[in-house]
Amino acid sequence: MAEPAIRALGLTRTFATVRALDDLNIEVPAGSVFGFLGPNGAGKTTTIRLLLGLIEPTSGSAQVLGFDTRTQGAEIRARTGALLEHSGLYERLSAEDNLRFYGRVAHMPKAQLDQRIQELLTHLGLWDRRQEAVVKWSRGMKQKLAIARPLLHRPGLVFLDEPTAGLDPVAAASLRDDLAALAARQGATIFLTTHNMAEAEKLCSLVAVIRQGKLLAVGSPADLRSRGGGQRTEIAGRGFSDAMLAMLRQQADVSQALVENGRLVLLLKDGASVAPLISMIVRDGGEVQEVRSGQGSLEDVFLTLMEEEK
Amino acid sequence: MNDFVTVLWKEWKEIVLERSAGSAGSYRPLILIAVFGIFMPLRMGPERFFSTAGLLAPTFFSAVVITAVIADSFAGERERHTLETLLASRLSDHSILFGKIAACMAYGWLISISCILAGAITVNIANWHGQILMFHDAASWLLLLLGPPLLGGTIAAAGVLVSLHATTVRQAQQTLSVGFAVVLIGVIFGSSMLPADWKAWFGRILFTWSQADLVLAAAGVLLAIDLALLSAGMARFQRARLVLD
Repeated sequence: MAEPAIRALGLTRTFATVRALDDLNIEVPAGSVFGFLGPNGAGKTTTIRLLLGLIEPTSGSAQVLGFDTRTQGAEIRARTGALLEHSGLYERLSAEDNLRFYGRVAHMPKAQLDQRIQELLTHLGLWDRRQEAVVKWSRGMKQKLAIARPLLHRPGLVFLDEPTAGLDPVAAASLRDDLAALAARQGATIFLTTHNMAEAEKLCSLVAVIRQGKLLAVGSPADLRSRGGGQRTEIAGRGFSDAMLAMLRQQADVSQALVENGRLVLLLKDGASVAPLISMIVRDGGEVQEVRSGQGSLEDVFLTLMEEEK
Repeated sequence: MNDFVTVLWKEWKEIVLERSAGSAGSYRPLILIAVFGIFMPLRMGPERFFSTAGLLAPTFFSAVVITAVIADSFAGERERHTLETLLASRLSDHSILFGKIAACMAYGWLISISCILAGAITVNIANWHGQILMFHDAASWLLLLLGPPLLGGTIAAAGVLVSLHATTVRQAQQTLSVGFAVVLIGVIFGSSMLPADWKAWFGRILFTWSQADLVLAAAGVLLAIDLALLSAGMARFQRARLVLD
């Protein structure tokens, strides 16, 4: 069996009294797109910093591409690419100079670097504007360039920290397509942090969910869907009180009950029947106008996990 | 060495682009060259301009230019959110630190040499008698060669120490300005408060040593300060602290 690209064993990091990461145990298979999901402040960025050897763990250990993060940070950084919390672009420089700088940092030969810059910028539709200062670009264009930067030297492992954060839906979708195509062509391992479940579902072969530094679940998106939120039922109507929600949450077949946009949303375990629950809602004074059932999404699983841990 | 040159290349491009035509800071180098390369040399005349004392102004002036640029080195990267990405690269601590210092020193040196060259041309044109006027003593040439890099090195190394942990460029600039003012005031007041036998000793040195010897001695002191400040910079360059600051 191939060596995993990342292996973390009991990885823990504390800042003063705050435990930012608590006993993280994960294995990221080489060549996979691994989604690291969690809300803001969950410990995603701290994990990337630890895996890049930028900060030291308080306890535990991690190996990245076979190198120890405590003692071999330089080797890890030489073999990986990283798009961190911010784009990291030098806005006074042109797009080409930004890539040229990081290509030279990666010791790429000039001819190979020229070819790679052209290939990436052409693929992302930025080639014609390569000599403009990045400061003049739109946010979407900057983010595309920011994603091209860590892929430039074809590293074996790429860290992408919320690559579509702050983009409008159209730009985010376009960027996701570009990212999927680039990842497929390059065949690298991608460690992607996000709180966008659709993004994780589309791009990742494996996902982990983290909250307040603790790992809550790991598996393929399909696995997690079947584990956490087999069925999603949306009920349109009136009279969905807090007391009713509390009562529904106590039912064995209900993983989660919440009100979204005026509709009652029930996440049910696999094989559960919604009919007894409808009767219960009506008995409790609720008015049911329409019921729709379907497969639960990764977002439903994520919300369930977040609620369970509260 | 390769990485050092790469950082130097990037820093140089950023410094020059910020001050290139059309940008807000583009007029500053031109004003400085006009004042120190044309106006002052004209007022000084050939005798004072082509002397060791005449070279002190552009030497100190290169230090002032470096102060403005070095504050941006790390604080600017932190403010523009590019520092963590730089630290997450394969670049070594030394190449980042020395690349940034060297770029600032090179910029200060270039402005200083431009002023001296412009001054030499201005003085020659204004006082043309069929013969080129030039620096004629060893002390002037020594100061010309050693002054800007060594004093620039002191300022750049001190500036990078401040910039490493300043939150913003403005904060770094303010700290540097206050720091240099304190040093200057300390030297002025401190020298007047020295014991009489120390003052006599310094007086003897000033009157008995040649100007070239004085320049070499000052260069030696500056070199020692530069090395001490660079060592302090290397000790304070800690990736984890820079990432978390």
